Order: sequence, then structure tokens, then C-alpha cells
Amino acid sequence: MSEAILRVSSLHKYFGDHHVLRGVDLEVQRGEMVCMIGSSGSGKSTFLRCLNFMEYPSAGRIELMGKVVGRESGARDGAPTYAYEERELVGLRTHVGMVFQQFNLFPHMTVMQNVMEGPVTVLRTGREEATERARENLTKVGLLDKADQYPSRLSGGQQQRVAIARALAMKPDVMLFDEITSSLDPELVGEVLNVMRDLSAEGMTMIVVTHELGFAYHLARQVLFLYEGVIHEQGTPDEVLKNPQQERTKGFLAGFTDFYF
Amino acid sequence: MPEFKWRWAEMPQYWMSFVDGLLVTAQLSAIIIAGAIAGGVVIGAMRYSRRRIFNWPATAFIELFRNTPILVQVVWFFYAFPVLIGGQLEPFLAAVFGIGLNITAYSAEIFRGGIQSIERGQWEAGRALGMSYLRVMRRVVLPVAVRRMIPAFANRMIEAVKATSLASTIAVADLMWQGEQLANAIYRPFEVYTSVAIIYFLAIYPLVLFTYGLERWLRIEDEVQL
Repeated sequence: MSEAILRVSSLHKYFGDHHVLRGVDLEVQRGEMVCMIGSSGSGKSTFLRCLNFMEYPSAGRIELMGKVVGRESGARDGAPTYAYEERELVGLRTHVGMVFQQFNLFPHMTVMQNVMEGPVTVLRTGREEATERARENLTKVGLLDKADQYPSRLSGGQQQRVAIARALAMKPDVMLFDEITSSLDPELVGEVLNVMRDLSAEGMTMIVVTHELGFAYHLARQVLFLYEGVIHEQGTPDEVLKNPQQERTKGFLAGFTDFYF
Repeated sequence: MPEFKWRWAEMPQYWMSFVDGLLVTAQLSAIIIAGAIAGGVVIGAMRYSRRRIFNWPATAFIELFRNTPILVQVVWFFYAFPVLIGGQLEPFLAAVFGIGLNITAYSAEIFRGGIQSIERGQWEAGRALGMSYLRVMRRVVLPVAVRRMIPAFANRMIEAVKATSLASTIAVADLMWQGEQLANAIYRPFEVYTSVAIIYFLAIYPLVLFTYGLERWLRIEDEVQL
């Protein structure tokens, strides 16, 4: 019953002369959670941001729900390049939710308005239905009682849960999480991870860039270790996190386990 | 000041001149402000654009009009511009151009600065929801940017009202010009120019109070932390 919802092959990304992604391949099945780990600068966030075209790939193919994105326009680094049309990307992004490290809630809108904004202005959902859906999603993240507050009144953890509800309101097929607990106080990380765990249990397809290795270990189906723009090691959580084969992976993990108690 | 006799009692009888002048000043200010807001939005947006065909002309316009004195622009539009177009330009119109384009240039910069002050994350959050560029601009960026630029805008508009006094140099019959005429006619420069200054103050100070109120109101809203 597994169905590849996302297929990426030979993804390259340059920022100027800087070759950030050097040919990344990935296949994600519907309903699975993939966690990407790696040190900063390894390209994991850039890779994630290419998946909903916050950054345009320099080369390589992205196939989302069986459809190749863009029109093939040439080749670079042995991979095909694609020309992207804004119209296609705008439509695509309604299917791919994203949650950011810095929350990025709209400061001039209440929690409720934040969550309704996408459905109402982009999907043209009626107000009543959008309100209903927003309430459901706020309930899911445990923040219905904050519906009329402005984001600045909320803690970081609460803001991040609103951001998740906002992305969920679009009924996305895939959700991307870009280090969403990295700027939170340690005691607020748990509440956000719990929401993500629930989402995964409901069958949401999730691609997660994270430094929460425990979370990745317990919930991911696949773990990818990125190093210098390539997938250096890939496998089940047990394979990558418990029995890494590559020296780089071992070195990276040592930074986390040296002070384990 | 030996033997100088104050003649304040004479002033009120000339109130008609002052009112006439004030009306022209108000008219000139209103037209300049309306034009500067409309023009500032368009040119500010062009300047914000990364496309050269928009960006370059806007930058040239802004730098040209920001970096020449208003008085020079007023005089230029009245005496020099007609040579260029081979015709006459009404003093009032020349003043609108000379002062207005300068204020427009500043407004454009304020507008651009306001938009630029919006964090990149806000753009990304909007785009990630599937919003087009224009929709992010309208729904996410402008509502916050406009609030941020209002105090600077208001200050610039007050500058605009004050700058209209320069129109008197090309015989636009504004408050300043009426004052000059009167002072020359009755030889009472002290009383006349003092009266002119007080009238300007009484006209402008309420505007300033209004901007204070505006800022306070924005600050309350600011619990939203913009």
C-alpha cells in the first residue's frame, strides 16, 4: 500500500559559487516520517526548502504526488535542470505545509486569524467552514483557548503550535519542519514534539530537520545524515543513530552522546 | 529698542489677507500631500523592485529630488521648466511640482523602508501557504509595514506644510506671501511677520498633536509587537 508521495533525484543547489547540495536522492512514502540530521551548513535546511521551492533547485528532479515539478530545461552536474513557473509553485505550496524555526506567525492577526488566513484567502474556503477547521486544528495543538490572542502574547512553544495549526489548516499532503524546536527554551520543546508525534500517528507525511535525536530515534521511519551537501548515511533509526557505519556520522552523534546521563 | 511702539491693535483688521493666504497654504499643502502619498507608494514600490526598469528610474527620481534644495526646485519649475516645454507654468502649479516632487521622493523612501523592515520570514510564511507575491504583499506585509511607516510619513507631511511657504518666492499668494505684501504696505514687519509665524504655528501644531496621538495609538496596538 505504500505510495511514494515525494521522489527527489540528484538535487543540486548553488548559492553563487557555493555548492550547497551535491546530488541528493530521496523517496518518501505517504504517511511516513523522515528525519534529517547533520551539523549546520550540511545543507539539510536548504534541501528542505527546495522541497516547497522556498529555494529553487539548481539541478535535479522533484516529483511530488506523481508529478514532476517544472519543465526540463537543460542539464548541470549530470542532472537535468528545470524551469519553474510561479503559478505552478504557488499551487504546489498549498499541498506542502511548512513550519519554520522562527514561527513566523502574522503579528497583526489573532491566533484564529492566523490559522484561517490560508484557507480563506488562498483556498477560498467559506468563513464558516474555515472557522470550524481552525477550531479543530487549534484543538489538536491544544490552543483553542488562545484563539483570540495575538501571537506576541504567547510563549515560543505556543507560537510554534499555532504555526503547526496554520500549516495543517491547508490540509497539506506533506509537511516540512525546519528545526522547529531549535529556538525554543528547553522546557517548551516537549509540547511541540508531542504535537508532531500525534500528527505522525494520524498518518501525516512529515519531513523533519531536527537536532532532537531522541525524537528522531523513536518516531522516524528513515533517518538521513547529511554531510557537505550529500546524504552521508541513511537508514532506520537503529541503523543510523545506534549503529552508524560512517566515521562522520559517529563523530556527529558523539557530540550528543558524550554527555548522556 | 528705544521708542518702538507696538501696533498690535492694527493687525486684526487685516485678517482677510491672512485668511486668504492660509486658504492657499492649505490648498497647496493638501494637493502636495495627496500627490506625495500616491506618488510615494508607486515610486517606493518601484524602488523596492529588483527589476531594473522599475528600480533605476525610481532611484534616479528619488536621488535627484531628495538632494536638491526645495527652493531651487520651486524656482527651477517656475523659471526654467517653461523654457524646456516652451510655455508658461502657473506659479501655483510650479510650486506643486517643486515642493511636491521633493516630498514625494522622501515619501517613497519611507514607503520602501517600511516594506523592507518586514522580516523575510513573513514573506516565507505567506508563500508557504500558497500565497502569490501580491497576496503576501497585501495581506501580510503592507498591514504591518504601513503601521510602521505612519509616524515617519506624518512627520514628512508636516515638513510639507512648512515647505509651502517657499511658494511665496514665485508669487503664489499663500500665507507667507500675504504677509510680505502686508508688511511692505503698512511698514510693520515686526507685527506682520510675528502674526504670520503665530498663524503657521496654530495651523501646524494641531497636526503635530495628531501625530503624537497616532503614535500613541500605534503603540497600544504595538502590544501586538510589530
